[in-house]
Formats: sequence, C-alpha cells, structure tokens
Amino acid sequence: MTGGGVGILLRIQARAQWRRATVWVLAMVASMAFTALAVAGLYDTPAKVASYGEAVVSDALVAINGHVEGIDTLGGIVQDEFGFMGSFLLPLMGLALVAAMTRTEEESGRLESLLAGRVGRTAPVVTSLVIATVAIVAMVVGFVVSLLASGIDPADAVLYSLASGMVSLVFATVAATAAQVVLHGRGVYMIGFAVIGLSYVLRGVGDVRDSFWVWLSPLGWLEKTAPFADQQRWWVLLIPAAVSAALAAAALTLAARRDLGASLYRPGPGPAAASRRLLGPVGLAIHGQRGAFLGWLVGSVLLAAVMGALAQEMVDAALGNPDLSRALGITEGDVVDGFLAVVQFYLAIVAAGYLVQSLGTLRHEEVGGRLEPMLAGGLSRPRWLAAQVAVMLGGLVVVVVVSAVVFGATTALSTGESGYVGTLVGAGVAYLPAELLVGAVGAFLFGLAPRMFGLTWLLFGLVAAIGLLGPGLQLAQWIQDLSPLTHVGNPPSGTVEAGQLIGLAVAAALLGVGAFVGFRRRRIPQG
Amino acid sequence: MSDHTHDPVNDTADTAEAVVRTEGLVKEFGSFRALDGLDLSVRRGEVHGFLGPNGAGKSTTIRILLGLMRHDGGRVRLFGGDPWRDGTRLRAGLSYVPGDVALWPGLTGGQCIDILASVHGGLRADRRADLIERFDLDPTKRARDYSKGNRQKVALVAALAAEVDLMVLDEPTSGLDPLMEQVFQEVIRERRDQGTTVLLSSHILSEVEALADRVSIIRKGRNVTTGSLRELRRHTRTTVHAVTRAEVTGLDALAAVADLASGRGEAGVDTRFTVGPDGLGDAVGLVHAAGVESLTVEPPSLDALFLSRYSDEPEQTGQSGQPGERPGKHAVREPA
Repeated sequence: MTGGGVGILLRIQARAQWRRATVWVLAMVASMAFTALAVAGLYDTPAKVASYGEAVVSDALVAINGHVEGIDTLGGIVQDEFGFMGSFLLPLMGLALVAAMTRTEEESGRLESLLAGRVGRTAPVVTSLVIATVAIVAMVVGFVVSLLASGIDPADAVLYSLASGMVSLVFATVAATAAQVVLHGRGVYMIGFAVIGLSYVLRGVGDVRDSFWVWLSPLGWLEKTAPFADQQRWWVLLIPAAVSAALAAAALTLAARRDLGASLYRPGPGPAAASRRLLGPVGLAIHGQRGAFLGWLVGSVLLAAVMGALAQEMVDAALGNPDLSRALGITEGDVVDGFLAVVQFYLAIVAAGYLVQSLGTLRHEEVGGRLEPMLAGGLSRPRWLAAQVAVMLGGLVVVVVVSAVVFGATTALSTGESGYVGTLVGAGVAYLPAELLVGAVGAFLFGLAPRMFGLTWLLFGLVAAIGLLGPGLQLAQWIQDLSPLTHVGNPPSGTVEAGQLIGLAVAAALLGVGAFVGFRRRRIPQG
Repeated sequence: MSDHTHDPVNDTADTAEAVVRTEGLVKEFGSFRALDGLDLSVRRGEVHGFLGPNGAGKSTTIRILLGLMRHDGGRVRLFGGDPWRDGTRLRAGLSYVPGDVALWPGLTGGQCIDILASVHGGLRADRRADLIERFDLDPTKRARDYSKGNRQKVALVAALAAEVDLMVLDEPTSGLDPLMEQVFQEVIRERRDQGTTVLLSSHILSEVEALADRVSIIRKGRNVTTGSLRELRRHTRTTVHAVTRAEVTGLDALAAVADLASGRGEAGVDTRFTVGPDGLGDAVGLVHAAGVESLTVEPPSLDALFLSRYSDEPEQTGQSGQPGERPGKHAVREPA
C-alpha cells in the first residue's frame, strides 16, 4: 500500500512539470535536428563524408567526442558532432527532470501536503520516472525524425536514438536513487554531476587507451551500440536497461522504508554562532556561492587534467598516419596547438557556465526571501551587489587560472615538453572578457528584469552550441560571431587581437553598470 | 517494524470510537528522542486541541499519524488502522494543513486548492466557493504573488472544503489576521456540528480555548496532561477580585485560598485572591457576606493552565520511557 496514488500524483506533476519537461524535449530535439541537418547539408557527397573520418580533427578529439564506429557514414558524423554536447545534455535531462519531482519537491514541503493524502510513499519515485520516461520517449521520437529527415537509415536512426535515450534514462534512475540518500535537491545534482563526470572520464580514457573502461560508463554503452557501424550491437541496449531497472528498484525500496524528510546522509550539527568571516556582505556572498564555485572548479580542473594527460596520445593518434599528416602539411607542433586550443575553448565554456550559475544564486537569494532582510538593514543595494560580483569575479579568475595551470602541467608531463603553463594561462586569461560579457548579460537581466533571468541560461546554451558545433559544421560566420567566445581568436593556436578583447570588456562593463543602476531602482523582492 | 501485537483487552469500544489513538509512542532521530511514550486519543466528532511548546513533538506526532514517518515504539492507530502500512487507504478520509504551507509558485491559488484537495478525495464545489468568499481569497492570483496569510488560506480552503471525517491542522492560523481567525473558528464549528473530527495543533491558546472540546498538552515528547477544559481547570485556580463595603473575613482560614491581598480603596475594600476548585463556593459566600460592590471571577485561562503546567514540572532528567508511572504525567480522569 505504499505505492498508491500514482494516478493522482501523475496528474498533479504533469500539470506542475509539463513546462520543464517540454522545454527539455524541445531543446534536445532542436540540438539534434540542428546537428543532423547541418551535417547532412555540409557533407552532401560520399567523398565529403569519407573525408570527415580521415580528418585530423576528429581523430584528435576522440577523447572529447568519443570513438565513433562508422565515422565514414553520415550518421557517424552526426554522432561525433553531437558527442561532446550529448555527453552532458543527455544525462542532465534525466537528472534534472527526476530531481525536480523528487527531493526538490520534498525539500520545498509540497510533497508533505501530497503524501498526507491518498498518495503512497513510493508514488513520487514512480511518478518522476514515468514522466521522465515519457519525456525521454518523446525525445527519442524527435531524434529519429531528425535523423530520418537528414537521410539516415531508419534502423541506424532508431538504434542511435534509443541508445541516447537510454543514457538519459540511466541518469534519471541515478537521480531517483540519489534523491533517497541525500537531504537536498542540490545534493542530488552533486551526485548526478559526479556520476556524469566519472562516466565521461571513463569513456574518454577508455576510448583513447582502447580499454574496457568504456564498458563501465553509461556514455560508453551508447558508443558500443555502434549504431552507424556495419556490425551494430543492439544487445548493448540491455545493459542500460538492466542498470536502470536495478537503480529504480533500489530507489523504490529506499523510498518505501524511509521517513519523509529523512536521508541516509545527514550533516551533523554546526557552530552555534556565526564566525566573524560569515558576517558582512562579502562573507555571506562567499557562503552563498561556495557550492557553485567548488562544483565548477572541480569540473573544470578535472576536464583540464584529463585532457592534458591525454595530450601525447592524442597527438600520436593524429600523427598515426604519416602519409596523411605529410599530405596535409601538419607538423607535430600544429597538432598540439590545435588540440590545446579546442580544450581551452571548452574550459572557457565551463568558466562562463560558472558565472551564470553564480548569478543564479543571487536570484535564488531573492526568490527564497533572503535578499529582502539583507537589504532591510544598513546594507545598501549597490554594496550587496558589489560584494556578490566581487566574489564571483574572484571565483572566475581562480577557476580559469587553476584550470589553465593544471592543463599546462599535465600537458607538459604527457608530452615531456615544458613551457605549456605560461602559454595556457595566457590563453585562459584571454577568454576572461568574453566570459565576463556572458555573465554581464545575466547580471543585467538580474538588475533590470529578474524574472527573465532564465534567458541567461538560453544565452549560455547558444554560446556553448555555437562553440561546440560551429567549427565542425562550418556555421555561417555571422552565426559564429554571435558568441563572444568567437571573438577571442582561438588561443593558443590562433592569434588574439587586443582590440577585440577591449571591445568585449567595454561591452561587459557597460552591461555591468546597467545592472547596478537597474538593481538600485527596481522592486525587491520579485518572486 | 515496531511492536504491533493486537491487545484484545485494550481494544475496547473506546478504541473503536477513537479516530486517532497512540499509546506509548516513541520516535528517535539518532540519539535524540523526539517522542518518549506519547499517548493521544482523539474521539469521533470532537475538536481536540494539541498543545505544546516548540520542539515538543507535535509535528512529529502528526507526521507519524499521517504515515509520513515510522514510529520506533508504542502503538499508533488512525481510523483503527496502521498509518505506515495502510496510509494510502486511511488518509483518503482526512485532510491536512501542514505547519509550513508550500505551494506551486507558477500555479494560481485556485489550481493549488484543487490539487491539494484532489489528494484527499476531492472537495465539495459549494464549500469551495463559500470558503473562498468567506476567507476573501483571490483564486486567480499566482501562488508566488501571495502573502504568507494568503498561502495559508489556500491550504485552509483545500482542507476545510474536503469531504472528510478528520481534519488534521498543524498551526493552521499562523499568518491570518484576527478577522480571518474568526472566520476560521466559525468554519471549524460548522464542520464539527456536521460530525467532522478535528485535531488542532496550535500555539494560540485562545483559539484552542474557543474551539477545543478536549485538549492534550505535551512537552518533550510526553504528555503533560489530557482532558476536557473543564477537567483541566478543576486542577487550577480561579482568580477573584472583589470590592466590598466591609472587610471580607475568614478567607485566610480557608485552605483553598491563596495569594490573598486586601486594602481599602476609594470604592470600598479591595480584595484579591486565588482559590482552588473545592473552596470557590465558600470563598464567594464570604465575599457576598461583606456586601459586594463589584466582583470579577476569572476562570483559569488556558494560558494560566499552560504556563502553570510548564513551570510546575521539574525538568525530566532520566529517559525511563516506561509506560504507566511517568513522573511528568498528570493523571486526569476522563469523564464517564
């Protein structure tokens, strides 16, 4: 009798969550459709398709995009181009949908009202998985349609779409289980991100070393179905299916046995009084943003370390075909720089993401009702905002510099050549104005139209998509120019123009001033 | 699972009549004992006040009753069933207002009312419309734009409009203005007259005093006292303030009289004292004999009762947890 009321809860959650689920499905399908159609448009002859697989770039990026079997097909190119984005978006979709309907809902107190009725303890888990599955199925259908529209074989399209949906499903069940174990929705995300990171690293290292590690990663299972190879492996779909079933069963068992609001992990009591550090606007800003900062720092450093450690292997792979290299006129130095530039670009996207999320915590402060009392005392609005911005900027510099240093050091270890640290720190710092411009748009929205702050994530998504897909899909220059990151000049392989950087910095500063002016005048709080 | 052996001796008609019954209820959070042998009995058709200071275990008790938490010891029955095992079925017969009302920020108040009511077996449309009007609620506003009081009204309308046998209300009027509190009291009385049972957890003593047929007072997870207000008052003192033409004589000879103070004022002799229930008649007789100019007799308020219980109780040190003879428990006989 612990599972009753699923029907009631389904109706309620469908009403409360349909918008979130729809946005996810549309965003995912749009990304896939965009990628697939762009690839189909670009590689419109067999010769062009064949050339993609031979290109140095895709070989060097096997750790990043994954090892694609059947890279000499149109579908293989789509899989490769969608590889990096999909590695994070597919898991995140399952994670976000389930987290929002389970622990976040419990934390808010809404679940207490619902479970006090005819709704059983396990119903929230069942409901969240049902709704997530429906969204995933919709996404899979959208993927299939997009791939078919691009002229890819139906069977290949179905296998690839199903395998992609399985990644989302595995992470939906990871979130469902994590939601029973930790106290806050934030904790569910932290566990989810950790598993995503681990999956990515296992798949990346496994692919480059050609080891069994790939088989330990949900992202590896997607790859191993080999949807576009001559020998497809449909049976691999059984692995994520079995893992999802096991995780769902674990989540249900835990949910049936635990108290509302209980968790396996619960932090102990803390200090009875605030330390001197916590008092004052800066201390409080540090406290509020610490979680986001640490999360993105760890992610960024991890990406840098793994990529740096694999640098030599990547270069070897690229140079593995001496005829090709000679024909293309590539020296080892170029390959290394090209690879470093790509990774540095990804690190810039991560840094921009950190800024957007940190700005989001300001919005959380306001919606959560904590901003109002802060400003009700002697603390002025500009001072509060300045303290938050200062902490954010400090965090950004730390994330960028530490990642660049780690990237440089691991690259030096891997290649046996020194001198990368300075180059890469320079490249990392060159991206700062562009990252700041993305953040400044968010700050501007927070200052003037806080309820529109969500658009900042849309901007971030566009910047990331343009950056990740732009070069491979040879997007029109005006589209690529929409992203501030494009204007930096692709260091260290490209040349950075000081004028561009100054332009970006001025634009960011103007928006920043606008943010302060708007924040000073607007109504607070706006929930 | 804790001990649920069926005890035919205790399972008398009284149990059958009790909508809610706990015996020796224990709940532990790690090493902290939130409930330490709590007894609670809510009879069909009564408004039962559930009082206690912050952290006494009121919300924990309610969550165990609702099957949201599992108890570690003792016995709990909701509509005669086990709320942890059969909660889904049992809870169809009740509605609930939690201590912290959380709504869906993007939905309107009206939508939230319907959602909350749908988990309790739906509501009556006529009651819904009536309550929305009486509580002066705009159901078309988004929940994020509601004040605290208005969010509370949403939860109240959903719970009060539901077609249920039992309403569990955890500090339901926090955030309501006095006018709305009056409306709330009216509605509760109407529901009781229609036969609905109400478990009303509250800090607002005047509200419990105005509504409750019986009251349970708990502290540190144990009962301090249970009974009707009349019974509880039997154990407390009445305050008398009299102005008389002559001096009142003989009061100090009465054992039940205490806090005696007397002095000559402008209007006559001013006398104040408190008196226990068995000496009230004699004391008032003596006052009457002195020629009454004005007389104020205040029955013990729940506040006085509440405060006296707390200040009288010595701090519990040991955690014996034994049922029956607990030093903190005042045995109050239930009326025959």
